Amino acid sequence: MGIGYAALAIKAGLTPLQTVLFSIFVYAGAGEIIAVSMLLNNATALAIILTNFVVNLRYLVMNICVYNKVTKSSLLKNILTAHIVTDESFALFSLMEESSIWTYSGISFTSWLSWIFGAVIGVTVLDLLPVIVTNSFNISLYALFVAILIPSIKKSRQITLLVAITGIINIILQLLIGNWSIITSTIIGALIGVYLVDDKYVSNVEEEETA
Amino acid sequence: MNQADIMILGCALVTFIPRLIPAIFVGKINFGKKTEKFLNLLPYTALTALIVPGVLTVDNQLWYIGLIGAVVAAGLAWKKVPLGAIVILTVIVLISVYSIIPLI
Repeated sequence: MGIGYAALAIKAGLTPLQTVLFSIFVYAGAGEIIAVSMLLNNATALAIILTNFVVNLRYLVMNICVYNKVTKSSLLKNILTAHIVTDESFALFSLMEESSIWTYSGISFTSWLSWIFGAVIGVTVLDLLPVIVTNSFNISLYALFVAILIPSIKKSRQITLLVAITGIINIILQLLIGNWSIITSTIIGALIGVYLVDDKYVSNVEEEETA
Repeated sequence: MNQADIMILGCALVTFIPRLIPAIFVGKINFGKKTEKFLNLLPYTALTALIVPGVLTVDNQLWYIGLIGAVVAAGLAWKKVPLGAIVILTVIVLISVYSIIPLI
Protein backbone atom coordinates (compact mmCIF):
# COMPACT_ATOMS: atom_id res chain seq x y z
CA MET A 1 0.00 0.00 0.00
CA GLY A 2 2.78 2.40 0.88
CA ILE A 3 4.37 1.49 -2.43
CA GLY A 4 1.19 2.29 -4.36
CA TYR A 5 0.99 5.65 -2.62
CA ALA A 6 4.61 6.41 -3.52
CA ALA A 7 3.98 5.52 -7.17
CA LEU A 8 1.11 7.97 -7.29
CA ALA A 9 2.96 10.71 -5.41
CA ILE A 10 5.89 10.63 -7.81
CA LYS A 11 3.51 10.73 -10.74
CA ALA A 12 1.80 13.77 -9.19
CA GLY A 13 5.15 15.55 -9.23
CA LEU A 14 6.37 15.17 -5.64
CA THR A 15 10.09 14.62 -5.18
CA PRO A 16 11.12 11.34 -3.47
CA LEU A 17 11.99 13.36 -0.36
CA GLN A 18 8.59 15.07 -0.30
CA THR A 19 6.90 11.71 -0.82
CA VAL A 20 8.58 10.19 2.22
CA LEU A 21 8.20 13.31 4.39
CA PHE A 22 4.50 13.33 3.63
CA SER A 23 4.24 9.78 4.97
CA ILE A 24 6.19 10.68 8.10
CA PHE A 25 4.33 13.86 8.99
CA VAL A 26 0.80 13.17 7.84
CA TYR A 27 0.64 9.39 8.29
CA ALA A 28 -2.90 8.86 7.07
CA GLY A 29 -3.08 6.33 4.25
CA ALA A 30 -6.37 7.41 2.71
CA GLY A 31 -5.67 11.10 3.34
CA GLU A 32 -2.27 10.96 1.65
CA ILE A 33 -3.53 9.04 -1.35
CA ILE A 34 -6.44 11.46 -1.68
CA ALA A 35 -4.03 14.38 -1.49
CA VAL A 36 -1.71 13.15 -4.23
CA SER A 37 -4.56 12.10 -6.50
CA MET A 38 -6.07 15.58 -6.12
CA LEU A 39 -2.66 17.06 -6.84
CA LEU A 40 -2.54 14.94 -9.98
CA ASN A 41 -5.81 16.59 -11.02
CA ASN A 42 -4.33 20.07 -10.42
CA ALA A 43 -6.33 20.84 -7.29
CA THR A 44 -5.16 23.83 -5.24
CA ALA A 45 -3.23 23.26 -2.01
CA LEU A 46 -6.11 24.80 -0.08
CA ALA A 47 -8.68 22.38 -1.49
CA ILE A 48 -6.37 19.46 -0.72
CA ILE A 49 -5.71 20.61 2.85
CA LEU A 50 -9.41 21.14 3.59
CA THR A 51 -10.31 17.74 2.14
CA ASN A 52 -7.61 16.14 4.27
CA PHE A 53 -8.97 17.89 7.33
CA VAL A 54 -12.43 16.48 6.72
CA VAL A 55 -11.28 12.97 5.82
CA ASN A 56 -8.96 12.78 8.83
CA LEU A 57 -11.43 14.20 11.35
CA ARG A 58 -12.25 10.60 12.19
CA TYR A 59 -8.98 10.44 14.14
CA LEU A 60 -10.60 12.79 16.63
CA VAL A 61 -13.18 10.12 17.38
CA MET A 62 -10.60 7.33 17.37
CA ASN A 63 -8.26 9.13 19.76
CA ILE A 64 -11.12 9.95 22.11
CA CYS A 65 -11.74 6.20 22.36
CA VAL A 66 -8.05 5.35 22.63
CA TYR A 67 -7.28 7.82 25.41
CA ASN A 68 -10.40 6.88 27.30
CA LYS A 69 -9.28 3.26 27.28
CA VAL A 70 -5.55 3.61 27.71
CA THR A 71 -4.02 3.04 31.14
CA LYS A 72 -0.61 3.76 32.71
CA SER A 73 -0.34 6.92 30.67
CA SER A 74 0.40 10.57 31.32
CA LEU A 75 -0.25 13.83 29.49
CA LEU A 76 3.22 13.71 27.96
CA LYS A 77 2.85 10.10 26.79
CA ASN A 78 -0.56 10.93 25.34
CA ILE A 79 0.85 13.85 23.39
CA LEU A 80 3.80 11.84 22.13
CA THR A 81 1.59 9.01 20.87
CA ALA A 82 -1.21 11.19 19.46
CA HIS A 83 0.32 11.38 15.99
CA ILE A 84 0.62 7.66 15.34
CA VAL A 85 -3.00 6.57 15.64
CA THR A 86 -4.38 5.09 12.47
CA ASP A 87 -7.35 2.99 11.43
CA GLU A 88 -5.54 -0.34 11.74
CA SER A 89 -3.87 0.30 15.09
CA PHE A 90 -7.11 1.73 16.43
CA ALA A 91 -9.10 -1.31 15.32
CA LEU A 92 -6.56 -3.68 16.85
CA PHE A 93 -6.31 -1.79 20.10
CA SER A 94 -10.05 -1.40 20.63
CA LEU A 95 -10.53 -5.17 20.26
CA MET A 96 -7.73 -6.03 22.68
CA GLU A 97 -8.14 -6.68 26.40
CA GLU A 98 -4.74 -5.21 27.16
CA SER A 99 -4.97 -1.44 27.62
CA SER A 100 -1.51 -0.21 28.60
CA ILE A 101 -0.12 2.84 26.78
CA TRP A 102 2.99 0.78 25.96
CA THR A 103 0.98 -1.85 24.12
CA TYR A 104 -0.84 0.84 22.22
CA SER A 105 2.26 2.79 21.25
CA GLY A 106 3.99 -0.46 20.27
CA ILE A 107 1.27 -1.37 17.79
CA SER A 108 1.02 2.15 16.45
CA PHE A 109 4.73 2.75 16.13
CA THR A 110 5.24 -0.48 14.20
CA SER A 111 2.57 0.37 11.65
CA TRP A 112 3.91 3.92 11.35
CA LEU A 113 7.40 2.63 10.53
CA SER A 114 6.13 0.10 8.00
CA TRP A 115 4.08 2.78 6.25
CA ILE A 116 7.17 5.01 5.94
CA PHE A 117 9.24 2.03 4.84
CA GLY A 118 6.68 1.28 2.11
CA ALA A 119 7.03 4.83 0.78
CA VAL A 120 10.82 4.54 0.76
CA ILE A 121 10.68 1.27 -1.19
CA GLY A 122 8.12 2.81 -3.53
CA VAL A 123 10.27 5.79 -4.49
CA THR A 124 13.36 3.57 -4.84
CA VAL A 125 11.99 0.84 -7.11
CA LEU A 126 9.74 3.07 -9.16
CA ASP A 127 12.47 4.31 -11.49
CA LEU A 128 13.07 0.75 -12.57
CA LEU A 129 9.52 0.02 -13.71
CA PRO A 130 8.23 0.36 -17.32
CA VAL A 131 5.51 2.91 -18.19
CA ILE A 132 2.64 0.43 -18.55
CA VAL A 133 3.33 -0.87 -15.06
CA THR A 134 3.35 2.60 -13.50
CA ASN A 135 0.16 3.40 -15.43
CA SER A 136 -1.45 0.31 -14.00
CA PHE A 137 -0.39 1.43 -10.53
CA ASN A 138 -2.87 4.28 -10.91
CA ILE A 139 -5.63 1.78 -10.32
CA SER A 140 -4.09 0.63 -7.03
CA LEU A 141 -5.56 3.46 -5.04
CA TYR A 142 -9.05 2.96 -6.46
CA ALA A 143 -8.73 -0.78 -5.94
CA LEU A 144 -7.92 -0.01 -2.34
CA PHE A 145 -10.86 2.38 -1.91
CA VAL A 146 -13.26 -0.11 -3.47
CA ALA A 147 -11.89 -2.92 -1.34
CA ILE A 148 -12.38 -0.89 1.85
CA LEU A 149 -15.95 0.04 0.91
CA ILE A 150 -17.23 -3.35 -0.23
CA PRO A 151 -17.47 -5.05 3.20
CA SER A 152 -19.75 -2.23 4.46
CA ILE A 153 -21.81 -2.34 1.28
CA LYS A 154 -22.21 -6.07 1.78
CA LYS A 155 -23.27 -5.54 5.37
CA SER A 156 -25.96 -2.96 4.84
CA ARG A 157 -28.34 -1.92 2.05
CA GLN A 158 -28.57 1.50 3.64
CA ILE A 159 -24.84 2.08 3.23
CA THR A 160 -25.10 0.86 -0.37
CA LEU A 161 -27.81 3.43 -0.94
CA LEU A 162 -25.75 6.15 0.76
CA VAL A 163 -22.76 5.30 -1.44
CA ALA A 164 -24.95 5.52 -4.56
CA ILE A 165 -26.43 8.87 -3.49
CA THR A 166 -23.01 10.33 -2.63
CA GLY A 167 -21.63 9.18 -5.97
CA ILE A 168 -24.45 10.88 -7.89
CA ILE A 169 -24.09 14.09 -5.86
CA ASN A 170 -20.36 14.11 -6.59
CA ILE A 171 -20.82 13.63 -10.34
CA ILE A 172 -23.23 16.57 -10.46
CA LEU A 173 -21.10 18.79 -8.21
CA GLN A 174 -17.94 18.02 -10.16
CA LEU A 175 -19.52 19.63 -13.22
CA LEU A 176 -20.42 22.69 -11.17
CA ILE A 177 -17.50 23.28 -8.78
CA GLY A 178 -14.67 21.03 -10.01
CA ASN A 179 -12.24 19.77 -7.37
CA TRP A 180 -14.19 21.23 -4.44
CA SER A 181 -16.86 18.64 -5.17
CA ILE A 182 -15.02 15.91 -3.25
CA ILE A 183 -15.09 17.70 0.10
CA THR A 184 -18.60 19.08 -0.48
CA SER A 185 -20.22 15.79 -1.42
CA THR A 186 -18.36 14.03 1.41
CA ILE A 187 -20.00 16.34 3.94
CA ILE A 188 -23.44 16.33 2.28
CA GLY A 189 -23.30 12.53 1.99
CA ALA A 190 -22.41 12.05 5.66
CA LEU A 191 -25.20 14.45 6.70
CA ILE A 192 -27.69 12.43 4.67
CA GLY A 193 -26.22 9.27 6.18
CA VAL A 194 -26.92 10.44 9.72
CA TYR A 195 -30.63 10.17 8.93
CA LEU A 196 -30.51 7.39 6.35
CA VAL A 197 -28.31 4.75 7.93
CA ASP A 198 -29.33 2.77 10.97
CA ASP A 199 -27.15 3.39 14.05
CA LYS A 200 -26.05 -0.22 14.31
CA TYR A 201 -24.21 -0.11 10.97
CA VAL A 202 -22.02 2.86 11.83
CA SER A 203 -19.82 3.60 14.83
CA ASN A 204 -16.73 1.60 15.68
CA VAL A 205 -17.22 3.53 18.90
CA GLU A 206 -20.09 1.37 20.02
CA GLU A 207 -17.96 -1.76 19.78
CA GLU A 208 -15.46 0.05 21.92
CA GLU A 209 -18.05 0.92 24.54
CA THR A 210 -19.34 -2.60 24.87
CA ALA A 211 -15.84 -4.09 24.90
CA MET B 1 8.37 26.75 -1.00
CA ASN B 2 6.29 25.28 -3.78
CA GLN B 3 2.68 24.14 -3.86
CA ALA B 4 3.64 20.61 -2.74
CA ASP B 5 5.52 21.84 0.35
CA ILE B 6 2.54 23.95 1.39
CA MET B 7 0.31 20.92 0.87
CA ILE B 8 2.53 18.71 3.03
CA LEU B 9 2.73 21.23 5.88
CA GLY B 10 -0.97 22.04 5.71
CA CYS B 11 -2.07 18.41 5.65
CA ALA B 12 0.30 17.53 8.49
CA LEU B 13 -1.18 20.32 10.60
CA VAL B 14 -4.86 19.64 9.95
CA THR B 15 -4.34 15.92 10.53
CA PHE B 16 -2.34 16.33 13.74
CA ILE B 17 -4.69 18.75 15.49
CA PRO B 18 -7.70 16.37 15.63
CA ARG B 19 -5.33 13.64 16.82
CA LEU B 20 -3.85 15.86 19.53
CA ILE B 21 -7.00 17.35 21.05
CA PRO B 22 -8.28 14.09 22.64
CA ALA B 23 -4.80 13.29 23.94
CA ILE B 24 -4.82 16.50 25.97
CA PHE B 25 -8.48 16.72 26.97
CA VAL B 26 -8.96 13.04 27.68
CA GLY B 27 -12.35 12.26 29.21
CA LYS B 28 -13.59 15.80 28.73
CA ILE B 29 -14.98 15.53 25.22
CA ASN B 30 -18.34 14.03 24.54
CA PHE B 31 -20.17 14.21 21.26
CA GLY B 32 -23.85 13.82 20.74
CA LYS B 33 -24.82 10.57 19.09
CA LYS B 34 -25.58 12.36 15.82
CA THR B 35 -22.23 14.14 15.60
CA GLU B 36 -20.41 10.91 16.34
CA LYS B 37 -22.36 9.16 13.61
CA PHE B 38 -21.61 11.98 11.18
CA LEU B 39 -17.87 11.73 11.88
CA ASN B 40 -17.93 7.96 11.46
CA LEU B 41 -19.73 8.21 8.13
CA LEU B 42 -17.19 10.64 6.67
CA PRO B 43 -14.70 7.96 5.55
CA TYR B 44 -17.42 6.11 3.61
CA THR B 45 -18.70 9.16 1.79
CA ALA B 46 -15.17 10.47 1.20
CA LEU B 47 -14.13 7.18 -0.39
CA THR B 48 -17.24 7.22 -2.56
CA ALA B 49 -16.62 10.79 -3.70
CA LEU B 50 -13.09 9.79 -4.64
CA ILE B 51 -14.06 6.69 -6.58
CA VAL B 52 -17.02 8.17 -8.47
CA PRO B 53 -16.32 9.47 -11.06
CA GLY B 54 -12.51 9.63 -10.60
CA VAL B 55 -11.99 5.96 -11.37
CA LEU B 56 -13.02 6.58 -14.99
CA THR B 57 -10.00 8.87 -15.46
CA VAL B 58 -7.34 6.36 -14.43
CA ASP B 59 -6.41 6.32 -18.10
CA ASN B 60 -7.21 9.63 -19.77
CA GLN B 61 -7.81 8.03 -23.16
CA LEU B 62 -9.57 4.78 -22.20
CA TRP B 63 -12.32 5.36 -19.61
CA TYR B 64 -13.14 1.64 -19.33
CA ILE B 65 -9.68 0.80 -17.97
CA GLY B 66 -10.65 2.25 -14.59
CA LEU B 67 -14.05 0.59 -14.71
CA ILE B 68 -12.47 -2.82 -15.31
CA GLY B 69 -10.13 -2.24 -12.37
CA ALA B 70 -12.97 -1.18 -10.06
CA VAL B 71 -15.09 -4.19 -11.00
CA VAL B 72 -12.16 -6.59 -10.48
CA ALA B 73 -11.35 -5.03 -7.09
CA ALA B 74 -15.02 -5.12 -6.03
CA GLY B 75 -15.32 -8.77 -7.03
CA LEU B 76 -12.21 -9.74 -5.10
CA ALA B 77 -13.31 -7.77 -2.04
CA TRP B 78 -16.70 -9.48 -2.21
CA LYS B 79 -14.87 -12.82 -2.02
CA LYS B 80 -13.02 -11.52 1.05
CA VAL B 81 -9.59 -11.55 -0.57
CA PRO B 82 -7.12 -9.63 1.69
CA LEU B 83 -6.57 -5.92 0.88
CA GLY B 84 -2.98 -6.18 -0.25
CA ALA B 85 -3.77 -9.08 -2.58
CA ILE B 86 -6.69 -7.16 -4.09
CA VAL B 87 -4.46 -4.24 -4.97
CA ILE B 88 -1.74 -6.43 -6.48
CA LEU B 89 -4.19 -8.62 -8.44
CA THR B 90 -6.04 -5.61 -9.82
CA VAL B 91 -2.77 -4.07 -11.01
CA ILE B 92 -1.82 -7.38 -12.65
CA VAL B 93 -5.20 -7.61 -14.42
CA LEU B 94 -4.77 -4.09 -15.79
CA ILE B 95 -1.26 -4.82 -17.01
CA SER B 96 -2.72 -7.84 -18.86
CA VAL B 97 -5.52 -5.71 -20.31
CA TYR B 98 -2.98 -3.16 -21.54
CA SER B 99 -1.00 -5.88 -23.25
CA ILE B 100 -4.14 -7.25 -24.99
CA ILE B 101 -5.43 -3.87 -26.24
CA PRO B 102 -3.01 -3.57 -29.21
CA LEU B 103 -4.32 -6.92 -30.47
CA ILE B 104 -7.97 -5.82 -30.63
